[in-house]
Amino acid sequence: MKSFLAKYKKINYLLKALGILIVITIVSHLFRDHLDIINIALIHIIPVVVVAIHGKMKATFFMIFLSILFLSFLYIPPLYSFSVHNELYIWSFMIFAIVGWIITIQAKNLNTQRKQNELRESLLHIVSHDLRTPLSTIHGSINLILSDEKDLDKKRRDNLLEDINYASIRMERLITNILDSTRLSSGDIDLKLEWCDFEDIIGVALDEFQIQDDEKLVINIDELSLYWGDNALLTQLIINLFDNAFKYSKEDTKIVVDIVNKNNYLLIKIFNQSEYIDEEKLKNIFDKFYRLEDTNDISGSGIGLAICKSIVKLHGGEIRALPQNEGILIEIELPIIKRAKLI
Amino acid sequence: MKHTIHIIEDDSSVKKLLEITFKEYDFSFISSENKRNALVMFLSHNPDLLIVDLGLPDGDGKDLIKQIRDVSKVPIIVLSARHDEKEIIAALDVGADDYITKPFSVNEVVARIKANLRRNSIDDSIENRFVCEGLELDVNTRDVVLKGKLLKLTPIEFDLLKYFMSNANKTLTHKQILEEVWGVGYQNEMQYLRTYVNALRKKIETNSTRPNYIKTESGIGYRFTCNIK
Repeated sequence: MKSFLAKYKKINYLLKALGILIVITIVSHLFRDHLDIINIALIHIIPVVVVAIHGKMKATFFMIFLSILFLSFLYIPPLYSFSVHNELYIWSFMIFAIVGWIITIQAKNLNTQRKQNELRESLLHIVSHDLRTPLSTIHGSINLILSDEKDLDKKRRDNLLEDINYASIRMERLITNILDSTRLSSGDIDLKLEWCDFEDIIGVALDEFQIQDDEKLVINIDELSLYWGDNALLTQLIINLFDNAFKYSKEDTKIVVDIVNKNNYLLIKIFNQSEYIDEEKLKNIFDKFYRLEDTNDISGSGIGLAICKSIVKLHGGEIRALPQNEGILIEIELPIIKRAKLI
Repeated sequence: MKHTIHIIEDDSSVKKLLEITFKEYDFSFISSENKRNALVMFLSHNPDLLIVDLGLPDGDGKDLIKQIRDVSKVPIIVLSARHDEKEIIAALDVGADDYITKPFSVNEVVARIKANLRRNSIDDSIENRFVCEGLELDVNTRDVVLKGKLLKLTPIEFDLLKYFMSNANKTLTHKQILEEVWGVGYQNEMQYLRTYVNALRKKIETNSTRPNYIKTESGIGYRFTCNIK
């Protein structure tokens, strides 16, 4: 039922335009003697405009075709046939197409602008909220250290300094993500494809984190050949996945990473145990950042996972989050499109 | 004897941070804020190491590196913003030895400076044997020994390790390594480099996903780290 409604919403405007076309046909038919053929032709452009403002080229041309069909059948001599004898009318049809085309292009431009504005707004939200959290930690800790220097013992002081350090690392990662997201969301980004070694990428990603005990991580990597992809983006992908896993994993539980070679695709699995899992939310965990309806829910991790999705999509792959054994499993499939030839 | 570091940086807050650090760690230092002054100061003070910001008010830091490389082998560390990989590679290719990205940690800066000063002091003698924390490589017998055990390396793996160890603590770009180990004309054949680094790590590292010797400088190249005093 839900999917039916969603589909209906998508083609809603087309149905509206069809309705308008029918009304127009009735009106034109009733007043055909008062309205000249030129006015009848002009009002037939209305349904075309109604469709064109949605910026979908195919739909626009479908509507143009329909309008012309109605016109030529009902009003253009010879009546009640699809043939047209006066070539002047062919020109009219062409003008129909051009008007529809121009409006569609304009609508498309406006649409991308609107999307960019939405993105900018949610970025602002993140900047104001998520950058402020670590910043307030830094600010507060520094004030504490500055104000009563003598009373703080070394252990407490070091503790505060560590907090400052951690907060600044968080801020840096968030800034990288914000920069990436504007780059990725513009859509026409060129991948810098090269041979990537996932073992190397994981090593680089782990260097980003201050891992106290190596025991927390279990990493299983298949004997892999090189993967043809964007090294910087894939590194960012793994960093964001680790970031998420570290943030939401329960204390004293393990994070398990598997990279499996499945012949025509690479399977990356990352699992962490978690206190609380909302299965509904898992479904759109990767869209959180772009979905504006729940802006209260946007957080730094939202942007990180949304970037993961963009990166995976750019590589032609799939990403999903599943609840499993009291934890969250994120699965990524990356298709192998090219194999390295060695000497 | 105190080592003298030459700071070439126009941003006053970064410069101040570096100066405080060097005072704390007992280095002496001189500072320049632009290219022209840097060249004059370099020639008159003969510092032991240079820290160069790539964006200087009167021109590109790379030109300065080139000019200094023509007359001196002094270690040069480049300071750069994080997203400037191309710039970093270009600077390394014209002769810089290492790079640090902003924002940087003071510990990292000091560690890099010490490593580069150390490398410079042993650079002059022609070495036939390289030793680094339990790993030994003999150029004449082509033996590689890890913690007392002889390793079997293929000829290319040996050449690669030799190039790494003879340039310990220096950041090498992909292009530099491919040209040196595989030869001119191979500088874009990244798949060789990635495969052989992976294989070499499996033989010399305890945990190849968390390497201690061959560190990856993402998007730039590799660095063989060696912390012997």
